[in-house]
Amino acid sequence: MMDSQKTSEEGTVSKGIGVSPGIAIGPAYLYARVSFDVEAQAVDPEKIEHEKQRFEDAVRKAERDLHKIIAVTREKLGEDSATIFEAQLMMLRDQAMYPEVIAFIESKGINAGYAVQSVMSKHRQVMEASDSEYLRERSNDLLDIQDRIIRHLRRGRILSAVDENSIVIAENLTAADIILFSRRGILGCAMDFGGPTSHVSIMARALGVPAIVSTHNATSKVSTGDLVVVDGIRGELIVNPDEDTLAAYRVKQERYARLQQQDRQLMDLPSETLDGHSIELQANLELREEIPLLEENGAKGIGLFRTEMLLLMEGRALVTEEEQALEYSKVIDAVTPHTTTFRVLDLGGDKLLPMGHREHNPFLGWRGIRIMLDKPELLVPQLKAILRASAKGPTRILLPMVTQISEVRRFKEVWADTMDTLTREGVPFDSDIPVGVMVEVPSVALQARLFAEEVDFFSIGTNDLTQYVLAVDRGNDMVAEIYDELHPAVLQLIRMTCDAAHAVGIPVSLCGELATNLRAVPVLLGLGVDTLSASPVYLPAIKRVIRAMKRTEGEGLAERALVSSDPEEFRGFMDRWLEEHACGVSFFLEGPAD
Amino acid sequence: MIEKEVTVTNRAGLHTRPASMIVRTASQFQSEFFIQKDGYEINGKSIIGVMTLAAEQGATLTLVFEGSDEQEALVAMEAIFEDGFGEVK
Repeated sequence: MMDSQKTSEEGTVSKGIGVSPGIAIGPAYLYARVSFDVEAQAVDPEKIEHEKQRFEDAVRKAERDLHKIIAVTREKLGEDSATIFEAQLMMLRDQAMYPEVIAFIESKGINAGYAVQSVMSKHRQVMEASDSEYLRERSNDLLDIQDRIIRHLRRGRILSAVDENSIVIAENLTAADIILFSRRGILGCAMDFGGPTSHVSIMARALGVPAIVSTHNATSKVSTGDLVVVDGIRGELIVNPDEDTLAAYRVKQERYARLQQQDRQLMDLPSETLDGHSIELQANLELREEIPLLEENGAKGIGLFRTEMLLLMEGRALVTEEEQALEYSKVIDAVTPHTTTFRVLDLGGDKLLPMGHREHNPFLGWRGIRIMLDKPELLVPQLKAILRASAKGPTRILLPMVTQISEVRRFKEVWADTMDTLTREGVPFDSDIPVGVMVEVPSVALQARLFAEEVDFFSIGTNDLTQYVLAVDRGNDMVAEIYDELHPAVLQLIRMTCDAAHAVGIPVSLCGELATNLRAVPVLLGLGVDTLSASPVYLPAIKRVIRAMKRTEGEGLAERALVSSDPEEFRGFMDRWLEEHACGVSFFLEGPAD
Repeated sequence: MIEKEVTVTNRAGLHTRPASMIVRTASQFQSEFFIQKDGYEINGKSIIGVMTLAAEQGATLTLVFEGSDEQEALVAMEAIFEDGFGEVK
């Protein structure tokens, strides 16, 4: 049997992406989608009424689940995200569902689960025949409903029943699943798929459940009941650890809890080096509902507000100017007196294009500002919305995927025209919003001086910059080893960017994942980065490093990093440095466990 | 009974959210409501029915209302189609 094979592996490690920090240790609960195949079973004529009642009970429980999910989603993610579940709630009593299932049970004398499956799969088949991939995917909503009812029919009672105090391992979870699980007191979770900016990741962070996504193989390595460790900091799942490993993780877990307590005291202390240099700490965000995390983690404003989430949420093609303006105003309102930096819609690359456009090489294709300049019907409403919202407080605007200075100039023409329009309409706005560019393509770093003369700030995106400089797709396992954000070539471009910016007196922010790599923090300070922007939960650890070092030390480390030819050696060197300087952060480091 | 042809104008087509808007709007009226597309007819007060139309942007649908308030129902329904369900066109 497959299960015995799986449990024989002791201490195996699955590497994924940590999306909600913390350490969870406990028994695994393998959560699988109900398989579609409920077997048909004849029901005695006198039991038909009972079978119909079982179906009604299951629907009622599904309704209760959905009411809970809707309430929590509304509170944590907003009304928009809740609409999809409101629609699912409508489906439960839909004329094409409820009465059809009842009729099926009665006429065929067959079990409720099979009836639900038959009725729903008939509807799904119709949808799956659509030419539109997007509409085909919506048949998943029907599948969700089907699964939910069948799960209740099977278990007899209680929700998406996972064992209390377990660690949920699944191929993929939804934000709704996490909500229900957290009410059952789950310790952590690990998924085969998913990304750090998906709803489920955001929800895990909001609920404080340690989580890992994108492990590729967690479900095939774990069986229910295995002892597992979820390390949401390093992004690792350890299955049936040996005693030494387990003991080490228990220590780590305690240290993390202690650090979290210390972090609360750190919250109000300035982000300043021992030799008195201030480094601004800001947050990367995509949803207004995450704003409370700013203050909790000591963020001074938003260094990167990704607006794609608004656009792609629940598959809506695009929200209107009015809806955007309202949403942006609320964000600015909540963040004032600190600044909010809105990044213009960054579509393409690995992000879905709502217009269904496909490319062979999307990372070198139609993306970011290229799309927006070609599509004024997307760009102009967003600019108007941001400008209108800017009356509320300090605002900045950031252009994604810029490669040429001509793009900045073309953007500025549209920007000026948009301001003229609003002035004519008598709408109040801030006419001095700083305009910045993302430095994520080598051409911008190489021509940084030229760009610095025409923009108000730089924001370095290290994920793309590293991919483009080293010509490596980090999602490709064959070459992922080469992906090194601390590569001297990457650092050289960061230095050029900082030098050019400071020569004309504009600030440099860094908003990529590199900011959360504590080994990199001293180096980045040494290279001259003024602001670090990261997912809020990582900021306390970053601040701890900053407060434990002198900037002059950072400069020395940067020199060393720029000439390093052995990444392993340099990482080891930085680990020791951190251990000596910033007590208690070493285990925060990324990278495989040694 | 009244009938009216409409076009799906929003880019993403009649996915879950627009379908729920249609059903919610239809349910405010007494009249029966059907939607026809390519010789296929569904009950417009059923969200699953509307979703199974799998109507993409540009699809032409015939809205059929029958009942005492059919005129008002048609006006309300036309308005949300014209608005593209508040989504981008």
